[in-house]
Amino acid sequence: MSKDGVRLAVVVLLALAGCRGGGTAGTQKIMAIITPAHDNPFFKAEAEAADAAARARGYQTLLLAHDDDASRQDQLVDSALAKGAAAIVLDNAGADASVATVRKAKDAGVPSFLIDRELNATGVAVAQIVSNNYQGASLGAQEFVRLLGERGSYVELVGKESDTNAAIRSKGYADVLRKYPDLVAVARVSANWSQTEAFQKMETILQGNHRIDGVLAGNDTMALGAQAALLASGLPKVAVIGFDGSPDAVASIRRGEMRATVLQPAAQIARAAVEQADHFLRTGSTGRPEKQSVDCLLVTRENDERVGVFELMRK
Amino acid sequence: MSLLLRLRAVVALALLASVFSWLSPAFLTQGNLVMLAKHVALNAILALGMTFVILSGGIDLSVGSVAGLAGMTAGWLLHDGLVLRPLGVVVWFSAPSVIVIGLLVGVTVGALNGLLVVRTRVAPFIATLGTLYVARGAALLLSGGATFPNLVGRADLGNTGFTVLGAGVLLRLPAPIWMMAALGLAAWFVAGRTAFGRRVYAVGNNEHAAGLVGIRVARIKLAVYTISGFCAALTGLVIAAQLQAAHPATGETFELSAIAAVVLGGTSLSGGRGTVVGTLVGAFVIGVLNDGLVLLGVSEFWQIVIKGVVIVAAVIVDQLGARSTTGTAPRRQR
Repeated sequence: MSKDGVRLAVVVLLALAGCRGGGTAGTQKIMAIITPAHDNPFFKAEAEAADAAARARGYQTLLLAHDDDASRQDQLVDSALAKGAAAIVLDNAGADASVATVRKAKDAGVPSFLIDRELNATGVAVAQIVSNNYQGASLGAQEFVRLLGERGSYVELVGKESDTNAAIRSKGYADVLRKYPDLVAVARVSANWSQTEAFQKMETILQGNHRIDGVLAGNDTMALGAQAALLASGLPKVAVIGFDGSPDAVASIRRGEMRATVLQPAAQIARAAVEQADHFLRTGSTGRPEKQSVDCLLVTRENDERVGVFELMRK
Repeated sequence: MSLLLRLRAVVALALLASVFSWLSPAFLTQGNLVMLAKHVALNAILALGMTFVILSGGIDLSVGSVAGLAGMTAGWLLHDGLVLRPLGVVVWFSAPSVIVIGLLVGVTVGALNGLLVVRTRVAPFIATLGTLYVARGAALLLSGGATFPNLVGRADLGNTGFTVLGAGVLLRLPAPIWMMAALGLAAWFVAGRTAFGRRVYAVGNNEHAAGLVGIRVARIKLAVYTISGFCAALTGLVIAAQLQAAHPATGETFELSAIAAVVLGGTSLSGGRGTVVGTLVGAFVIGVLNDGLVLLGVSEFWQIVIKGVVIVAAVIVDQLGARSTTGTAPRRQR
């Protein structure tokens, strides 16, 4: 081996030494938990909740992130199968693009339990547990109507157009708001789920009109972006409502800035998936239908102290 | 000296492989190695095309987007067919012709890259950055941002068979591995054993001198970007076939992995120096890291750190080697 080879070897070994410990499997069964990212509070919360629930049931866990890349997700599932995973808990990388991957796991005898996002196929995953976005949007819109006193002008910030959840939430809002003719939408624009984009779009909208009473956003990141733009323009009284129940939004509600958000019980859903996976592995059935929807909850000033990380604590 | 260069990358690969097989008993099993090669194939095919571009002194940032666009084109033709509204008919293509059309899309974008670089003298980095955006936008426009699902095809339309590209198996090895092997062999032959290959090295080493000795520099450049576009399109088609669905975001940041594989393999980013074999070994180093770290259950964040460390370390080692064996680094003029 050349001298340079030795140098490289030392660097690589040092790097690996820093992270050894994921180590060898005993007789424990492995549960793979694959989510879009670990650097986003929502996905992190569901990964951690699933991880804790699986460990508590005596599983070894394999936590992976696919970064919304369906090809990477396919490779991660390969790796999970190669490692001998007994079950997969998956927040997938695309309703259509994930079907073949989940089917591959099924064909290899490994059941998948989907959380948060649905698959455009049935009979491939054992369970699909998602939050009821339509019901959540109705809750948010009803609170919005109440805050505005059934009249005024508002802005709707829509999520990424290609995401089905953006459309479902927007429809949920619209179905409530159309009953109130005195509520007028001055703008309805997409901010692609992004905080920066929502901030800029809100600033642009404010250039045109200063008489805005409320902002209804398709998620909390956009709501926070809009809230920041409103505060910067000296308009703290505009009512902003978001969706997701992220810790940042809850903190904003506590500070008296954002008025409300719709909490998606991500942690509860992740735990339910693990419980059902465990039940399925022991008995061959979950005892539940494949498609399950979990209701969302409204978070306001009244109940914000009970909100944990994507779950509502009991009193 | 080229032997030494090759050895160095092989040493890194052997080292990583032995570390992983020591840490995880599942690593050195036949099933895992086949899977690993199948995963590596995607990046390797991209990187083979990229090797020619980098050898010629250029860079191609558009490969990931081109992969996405080719996959989306195939998805569109398989799922919706070509709708000719004035005639009121829908034309359906067979799977082989869809594959050919997908590859043609890649070749076209590649040739466009080449033309931009040659005719307008825009720096390759900028020209291909532009096509990166254009191709990604075009991929999104094809479906309005949605996914083309269920690309298995329908027997009554005569367009089944596309998925063989991703799921086909010959002699117990999946199709992508065979493609990587065939393209690798072809690239090795072209780069090392043909006049064209020599000219690519010459252009990368000293474009001005290459022109003076009668090499048609513009043609060589046009050719390398076209090759890269072809390889990118093939990767995109394989991914769409594997997933049985075409997603417009497919291939985002793939260009970085491909460039990393080329550089890890000892090819100089300033052109004129490097080997095809090195690129393949480089792609395997990245693949072993990707899969091995997952198999070990290393946290995602550590995986990112380690990948970065290995890439930079390999290049540092490479430059030490270049200095000690050749004295001075090869110079290049625009």
